[in-house]
Amino acid sequence: MDDVTGLSFDDLAGEAAVLGVYRQVFAVLARESGAMILDASSVDVDEAILGSFAEAGPEGLTVEQVVLACGRYSAAQVRRRFEVLREYRAVERVKDRPHELYHRAAFAPYVMLLFLRRIADRGGQAELHQLLTLEHLSVQESGATVDDARGTTQRLSTVFRLLANQLAGLAVGGVVETLRENAQLLWGNHGLLDQANDVHQTVLSRWSELDRECRALRLAIAAYRDAVDAAAGRLIEQAGATRALGLLPVEAWLSFAREAEVGALSDVLNDFLFDAPAPWFAADTLIEAVESAQHTTPVRVTPPRPQTEPGSPTEDVVPDAEAERLGALAEQLLGDRGQVGVTELIDEIGDWLGGRRLLADLTAMHLHDTLPYELRWSDRLRIDVERNLSWVTEGRFARVTEMGEMTETGRS
Amino acid sequence: MTDVDQAMAWARARAAGPQRVPASTPSGAGMRRLVETEAGGVWLLPVLPEGAGPTVLEELGLTATPVEQPNDTARVLAACLRCCWSEPNGSPWPGVVASWEQVTSVFRGITDNRDERYSNIALVAGVRRLAGAGWLRWSETTREVQLGPRVAAWRDPELSTLRELWRLIPTIDKPAESGQVEPA
Repeated sequence: MDDVTGLSFDDLAGEAAVLGVYRQVFAVLARESGAMILDASSVDVDEAILGSFAEAGPEGLTVEQVVLACGRYSAAQVRRRFEVLREYRAVERVKDRPHELYHRAAFAPYVMLLFLRRIADRGGQAELHQLLTLEHLSVQESGATVDDARGTTQRLSTVFRLLANQLAGLAVGGVVETLRENAQLLWGNHGLLDQANDVHQTVLSRWSELDRECRALRLAIAAYRDAVDAAAGRLIEQAGATRALGLLPVEAWLSFAREAEVGALSDVLNDFLFDAPAPWFAADTLIEAVESAQHTTPVRVTPPRPQTEPGSPTEDVVPDAEAERLGALAEQLLGDRGQVGVTELIDEIGDWLGGRRLLADLTAMHLHDTLPYELRWSDRLRIDVERNLSWVTEGRFARVTEMGEMTETGRS
Repeated sequence: MTDVDQAMAWARARAAGPQRVPASTPSGAGMRRLVETEAGGVWLLPVLPEGAGPTVLEELGLTATPVEQPNDTARVLAACLRCCWSEPNGSPWPGVVASWEQVTSVFRGITDNRDERYSNIALVAGVRRLAGAGWLRWSETTREVQLGPRVAAWRDPELSTLRELWRLIPTIDKPAESGQVEPA
């Protein structure tokens, strides 16, 4: 009703009639005026109310009679639903006058209720099949016009678009559990697709001018097929090779096992016999292990290797803090001299601890393979009982000028 | 068998795996009776439905019960299977008793070029581990090895793979010091 002013009185009356039927139809879904019901029990009460009207015959019933007839439900509940139904004009006064007590029911809400029940039971698949059959019959009729066919095509496009959108959303971004609950949308889709294709074929062959509409229908059907494939793929991937789509997902079990009370957990597990957790050796595992053992290299203790290898590329890159320290110390000890006697150096220090540290450093300089220093011990031994260090082996600490060549002056 | 007995038997199996009971004990529902060769006792092995075995864990992306040194342990089991599975055309249970020397020589045959000391450590550790999990029966005093009740849980497709394995492993009569195995 975009442009009310442009409509004639007849059009307005027609629209009002359609709206009235809509209101009646949706009355069973209304909780209060303007709000949807939230629980299935309200629908049960509605069904009982409408049923009691059907029993009553054309005279109708008063509110009290209805309450009495629906004795299974509480009086307050029945009254409340009755009011809602009356507001939506699903229940009307027999004669429209003040203080009229008798009411009668319209049939449209009950028909709607039946549809809702069927759709709730079977997910709308059966209704969709029937709808497709009806549409197919209508386009096959000899008296069908191009407008009928256009309407049919557009309606079917819409249905399949909606189906495909819902499924595709679930298949791509939805939680797997939601997808699993809606898996009924996936079932029997081959029949649906075949029927839809039949309708499409009929329309296209009879009215070639409906090319565009048919294209839309083709696209919608293809979109639905893709969505079904995606959703089924996701479910199968989740279920593993067992294909047990009906099983609860792993996450559900895990979180249940973690959070459940002891009682609830034991109730559930009561009927399950399972083995204690133990390592499992599959036949393939054994074969793999045995075969891999026959190709392994002998297990040997790795021989000690030098920590630094001369000329290895890492050696040049990584600065050696120890080498720097030793080099600086060696230069300090040697000064300008090419060599120096160990006894001299030891005497400069004069105590055990310092002497020991110095000897350690000298040995380290000698052994370090990037530092050009050498330590040579002679056979002579200086013994002096008066001094702090009474036994000192004589030796020479010298700088090596070339690789492997020592300053000859150092040799006595 | 009363409900309480049944519940207890199930609880034991769930907590500790296959149970050894006196031969006179009736077996509850869902249990498979595995009679020992000497008929001295019966092992009760929980029977899992087809397709609900431990392999499902992998499909569901769950980690299986971890085992230390999985490869060596599997090799030890393979060696014991070779020694104890006397008739590879039938079921591995109950099998025959294998001496420690037999198992050692077969295990060394599998891991041919390994140091003897490490090989022994791996063997003893593996046998203990497997005995704890019900794959082997092992007596520390007599040092004799037998297959455990869990080997009966292998199903037919796996058994045929295992028969191949049985043929793959060098025979016990072969001198251990030859060190060579037949190519796979």
